[in-house]
Amino acid sequence: MLATVLYEDGDHRWIMFARDPGKPDGIIDTNQYLIQSGNEAILLDPGGIELFAPMLSSVLKYVPAEGITKLFASHQDPDIISSLGLWDQALPNAELYSPWLWESFIRHFGMNNITYKAIPDEGMTITLGRIQLQFIPAHYLHSSGNFHVWDAKAGILMSGDVGAALEEPGAPLWVDSMERHAPKMKKFHQRWMPSDAAKHDWIRRVSALDIKIMAPQHGRLFKPPHVADFLRWFEQLPVGVAIKG
Amino acid sequence: MAAPVFIIAASVSAELHQAMIEARGLALTAKNARALAVRAGSKTVGFRAITDFIEELASAIISQSRVINHHAEKLSTQAVTAWHSDNAMAHFRWVEAQKPEHLASIRPHINQCDKQLDALNHELQIGLRDLIGQIDESYKHIRTANLIATSSHVEAATAGDFREQLEVIADNIRKTADRIAAHLNRANSLLSQNHRERKIAC
Repeated sequence: MLATVLYEDGDHRWIMFARDPGKPDGIIDTNQYLIQSGNEAILLDPGGIELFAPMLSSVLKYVPAEGITKLFASHQDPDIISSLGLWDQALPNAELYSPWLWESFIRHFGMNNITYKAIPDEGMTITLGRIQLQFIPAHYLHSSGNFHVWDAKAGILMSGDVGAALEEPGAPLWVDSMERHAPKMKKFHQRWMPSDAAKHDWIRRVSALDIKIMAPQHGRLFKPPHVADFLRWFEQLPVGVAIKG
Repeated sequence: MAAPVFIIAASVSAELHQAMIEARGLALTAKNARALAVRAGSKTVGFRAITDFIEELASAIISQSRVINHHAEKLSTQAVTAWHSDNAMAHFRWVEAQKPEHLASIRPHINQCDKQLDALNHELQIGLRDLIGQIDESYKHIRTANLIATSSHVEAATAGDFREQLEVIADNIRKTADRIAAHLNRANSLLSQNHRERKIAC
């Protein structure tokens, strides 16, 4: 599993885990994120069962198990959190932050030890070590109960499936041209995002943020000026329209 | 490859559920037999006594099947938990081989998971042994049912005009007993196969 430090300021770090060379064929590639601050760490969208062992091994290179106090699942999909039953054995004292809407569904992945912390529809702010993290509503993008994570100090927005692209293995980490990257995102967004109203609401919300890195769950990451390029592209893209004639 | 215990236990539970449904049919047969015995009057005094046995037998099989069914369901649930722990241990072994820097921090949880797995496997072994014992016990009911069917045929022979109807009831008892026995045999075979394969694996 390739680990990339996206941000580091003292004990405040963002690490991205992705591009696992041992990933079985046929499984969508996913970006997992770890945020550390002080003696605490949170794993964002820790991934599916198939990725559990390489993820745990990679994470333990940076932080001891007792330091991972929190998990976050942006929504209920298997590539996001189907590994929960295994994390439940590895981190029995951790808390899982996830949409209230999905609690009774996510528990089907197996959760006997970890504590479910339901995020209300309007979102919430939590303290991790010495920083604050905000769970920003992203409902219907794509899941009907969905959140993104905003770290104002680092200026990083974990944007879940928004900005995601399905690419060939070995693709670069950063978007270098919106013109070349947009076609890789178009069908994904049109098919998976069902609501233009939800899209506009999200764009209005995140446009107010000073985003230095936008980090989706699949594909490349965005830095300025491509963050603004993306928001403009997304705003004009009709979504929920991938319907066969 | 051996089927996982949670599938075997769930299959045993399903077989016993079917056995229970058959036993309900036997209870209905007992009711029909009683009604017939009342209509036939003095010609079927012996048969009337047998109907009590049929009712008791049906009730005993229903009750025993219910207990085994519940036991097997519980065992299947435990086996799923054991499978989860086993799965987690396989992943943990892989992580150990990678020797990540903070490996020691996860060791207490690995040990805890290992202990839990041992305890669950031990409970499963005991549970499976008990289940085999309970099914063996159920065969006694089948032997009783066959005896009742034979006695019913004997009583039918002296029932005059009611002979044919009583013979139908006696046949029903035997056929139902055979069907229940078939479910027990299938449950037994599933458990014995698992037991043999576990022994070979050890």
